[in-house]
Amino acid sequence: MTGGDGVSISARQPTAIHSALSMLEAVAAMGAGVTARQLAEHLGMPRATTYRLLNLLVQDEYLVRTPDLTGFALGTKVALLAGSIAVERVPRAARDVLERTRASARGGIHLVLYRDGRVVIADEDPDFPLSNRLGLQHEPTRYALGLLPLVVRGEVVRGEHVADDLVTELREQGVIRTRDGQRGCLVAPITDASGALAGALSYSGPRRYIDESDSIAVSVLAAARELGPLLT
Amino acid sequence: MSALEEAIERPEAVRSFAARSPLHGLDRHTVGFADVLAQSVAAIAPAAASAMAVLMVADLAGGATVLVMALATIITFLVARTINQFTRRFAASGSLYTYAARGLGTTAGLATGAAIVVGYAFISVFALLGGAHYATMLVTRLWPQLPATPIALGALAIEAAVLAIVLVRGIRLSSRVALVVELVSVALILLLLIVLLVQIGPIHPAAIFSPDDVSVAGVAGGAVLAITAFVGFESSATLGVEARSPLKNIPRAIVWSVGVAGVFYLIAGYTQIAGADAIGGTTSVALLDELASRFGLSAWAAVADVGIATSGLACAIASTTALTRIVFALARDGVAPAELGRTHRRHRTPVGAIAVAAPPITLVPIAVVAAGVSPWDAMRVILLISASGYIVAYVLVCIAAPLFLRRIGEVTAGSVIVAVSAAAALTGCLTVYLAAEATAGNPGVWLTVGIAVIAAALIRWRRRAPLGEVGRYDEPVAAHVLGGVARSGSAGDGNGSAHGGEPGDADG
Repeated sequence: MTGGDGVSISARQPTAIHSALSMLEAVAAMGAGVTARQLAEHLGMPRATTYRLLNLLVQDEYLVRTPDLTGFALGTKVALLAGSIAVERVPRAARDVLERTRASARGGIHLVLYRDGRVVIADEDPDFPLSNRLGLQHEPTRYALGLLPLVVRGEVVRGEHVADDLVTELREQGVIRTRDGQRGCLVAPITDASGALAGALSYSGPRRYIDESDSIAVSVLAAARELGPLLT
Repeated sequence: MSALEEAIERPEAVRSFAARSPLHGLDRHTVGFADVLAQSVAAIAPAAASAMAVLMVADLAGGATVLVMALATIITFLVARTINQFTRRFAASGSLYTYAARGLGTTAGLATGAAIVVGYAFISVFALLGGAHYATMLVTRLWPQLPATPIALGALAIEAAVLAIVLVRGIRLSSRVALVVELVSVALILLLLIVLLVQIGPIHPAAIFSPDDVSVAGVAGGAVLAITAFVGFESSATLGVEARSPLKNIPRAIVWSVGVAGVFYLIAGYTQIAGADAIGGTTSVALLDELASRFGLSAWAAVADVGIATSGLACAIASTTALTRIVFALARDGVAPAELGRTHRRHRTPVGAIAVAAPPITLVPIAVVAAGVSPWDAMRVILLISASGYIVAYVLVCIAAPLFLRRIGEVTAGSVIVAVSAAAALTGCLTVYLAAEATAGNPGVWLTVGIAVIAAALIRWRRRAPLGEVGRYDEPVAAHVLGGVARSGSAGDGNGSAHGGEPGDADG
């Protein structure tokens, strides 16, 4: 992700933006690995213009080149275009709860809300930021925070990521845990007055803290219960 | 629903990307634009080069000095445009070596690697000697009774220590120090130049361009030396892995640094030539100093000397930084021993490469001075070797660019014309220059030939054993691709995608 780069658009550029969006559409339609020449032909754009535009989109990470450099694929950054970066106001009382939980946890404590089937990051731990925000929003089922709604609904899809034991774990312990190498993640649901899933509080950090003691589960669960009435 | 919305909503699995880059271990995507620009500017060392190179150019090109400077700026600009055909498309730490390998294949890639390593190594030695030369001049100006050689040795020892510390601690420290040093020195020199220009007053145009004493060899040789004042502009490309938004920031840094240096050199060249004409046509080892004292600006010139001395050190730091990134890339490609691809666990710097590169670069200048050779004489020989290395590498990359573009199906007429003109101009100038220097008895020519023979033998020897894929670059990882699922057999170690996140089992 780039940051701090100023964006300036001159009067001539709306056409360029139109071309850029057409280019992204074309890559989406033709699939990963499409070449510059194929795109130029598909769009009826002059070749030199196509190459320049492609290079600009690659520079800004909306597109990425395939490892052999001849083809293009959509970058995770295009997901930004879908307007998924919603700004959520977290009430002060809830922020106090988060601060307290973070002070005692050795790892990242993140708050997300579930809105229209989308994961919205409401409060990310400033000291231990999420490693892949876009991944979480656009391939949610690769991550525990994205899996939780499926687990809650009991939608166990064969061959997908949800396993039966997560459903059991949630029923018996009130949380779900996932592990990847030396890292792990623990997620507790936040529910509204009717008991419907509204959001989740997660801890991510070294795997042994999740596996070897219950103290993290206890504190995350307690904080999640406290947050429910404050957020819904 | 459009194809794009559909793709964002339900990304199709893309499996051609790996979980981590072949160049993992460096501090990825952390160096901002200012620091990337600083790397190129420091490697060019405009402050030191404007003082040293202009004199050497004037020696050869005589009355055509300013014109030759302009010619060199144009040629360098063409090379920069061509190098940017690569830097805009992929990020690498092997820079010119990686580019040539991708366009021309393994052997040419290794030749380019050897050439640019020679260029960076010898320019580092040159810059350390130059820094020591100016430091010594400054100290003996203040305390004339002190002996020069021990001071030069002391200055070299201090430079060596700073170089080693900064290299291991990381580029952000080194590039920031370098940028501040360069800005201050360039500002000082620019002020000095402007004051001098005002004092000298208008001069006869014939003094700036007097074609009678201009020869082809003079212009070609002058152009080569003037190009050496720019070399290093491409060195920010070696930060491809470490730079933030590298495909945007590196091309910008390369073009900007060439432009800024070009303007500065034209002013410096004009002032020094006009000044030399005003005081009676001399070229001395410190023309700028002489001019300043002649026009009553000695104290100022002393401050400028501090700037030039530190600029020399900054240039050595930047050039050695670039050198170590290329050695690192050679090791990661399996060309050099794997140990040279080792990185520091905390600082994330290529310490394996630093350990082999830094000792000779710092010890050679000390040996030269200790042996009683005048730094200025040694510098002419060293500059010739370094210039040959850089220019050979530039020529090979300019030949590689059109072939690379054709291979990925993105060749255009404009890019071919720019690359071919740059390659032709560089080849012509270097040939004429080397022939003239050989006739004039510069031992650097034979040293260059010797180094080339050794490099060729090394490459031949290395190619007898099978080599894997060379020219590996910082590939985008699966986490940056919409729907990206890592290729099997390349699970990440937490460097790129997974660490600190919310990992699910990602087996799809």
